[in-house]
Amino acid sequence: MAELDFERRLERLFAEPPAYADDEAFAARIERRLDRGWTARRLLIGSAGVVGGVIGASQMFASNLPHRMAAAQGSARALSSGLTQTEPAQWMSTLPSGGVVVWIAIGAAIVLIGFVLTRVIEEI
Amino acid sequence: MPGARTSRFAQHHDLELCAQAVTGERAAFGELVRRHGSAVRGLMRRMGAEAAEADDVAQDAFLAAFERIAEFRGEGTFAAWVKRIAARLYLRRLQRERRLAPLVEAPEAAVAADAADRLIDLDDGLKALSPVERLCVSLCFGAGLSHGEAAEALNLPLGTVKSHVKRGLEKLRTRLAPVGRSALQGSRRDG
Repeated sequence: MAELDFERRLERLFAEPPAYADDEAFAARIERRLDRGWTARRLLIGSAGVVGGVIGASQMFASNLPHRMAAAQGSARALSSGLTQTEPAQWMSTLPSGGVVVWIAIGAAIVLIGFVLTRVIEEI
Repeated sequence: MPGARTSRFAQHHDLELCAQAVTGERAAFGELVRRHGSAVRGLMRRMGAEAAEADDVAQDAFLAAFERIAEFRGEGTFAAWVKRIAARLYLRRLQRERRLAPLVEAPEAAVAADAADRLIDLDDGLKALSPVERLCVSLCFGAGLSHGEAAEALNLPLGTVKSHVKRGLEKLRTRLAPVGRSALQGSRRDG
């Protein structure tokens, strides 16, 4: 029993925090470190997202995009001429076709790459 | 504390501050550091770290705690959680710098004759223990580790840790001032 009492007392003594004269300075130092780290992280994430987006866009343009767009327009024309012979559903008629689709895909890809990079860096 | 800056989070509970810190609110975390910084720094010194090293490890522990704040589920107190992080960081540092093994094998500190006769506070009492006894007692009673966790952290057999704790407690029991006379209570130490 006395042993248990002493152990409880010891736990209480350990739990009593000593007061140091520079407690406030210690906390301020850590806050500064946190702020610095946060700013650096935001810069890193932002720049990585921009770089990723630029690389993604340049890759798309480098992969013979005008030719692909022309091919896509041809395909779209062939598709729409085929579709005229069928009974399209209502929602299908509202879909964009041809070059518009390519530009939407490019935009979506850039946003997706930026998002993925941002997430990956945040996880790291 | 006189002269201490009061933040807009001063009235918030620790758990509320943790919830805000999860969203990236650094000022809320700063309030947690203000509240529990001395407890973590004190534990490091009680484990045997010099003042500068104790502050370094405590700082690293708080930064690590901020990074992992989403993992804190509020099952214990925030202070206890950070103390455990700090204790493990300190042991890891000792191991990395190959200072742990010499500590474990070091003989008991020589206690000055007058100190052995008078009643002393916890910090002075801990100095009378051998380094490994001091580590074991501080880990179990200060950082809240179980004997098993302390054994794992120190890479020592469980029975050895239990023996060190038992011997450390015996020494402290004979030397600590009775309740109410502890010099630790309300004392102010230099940073």
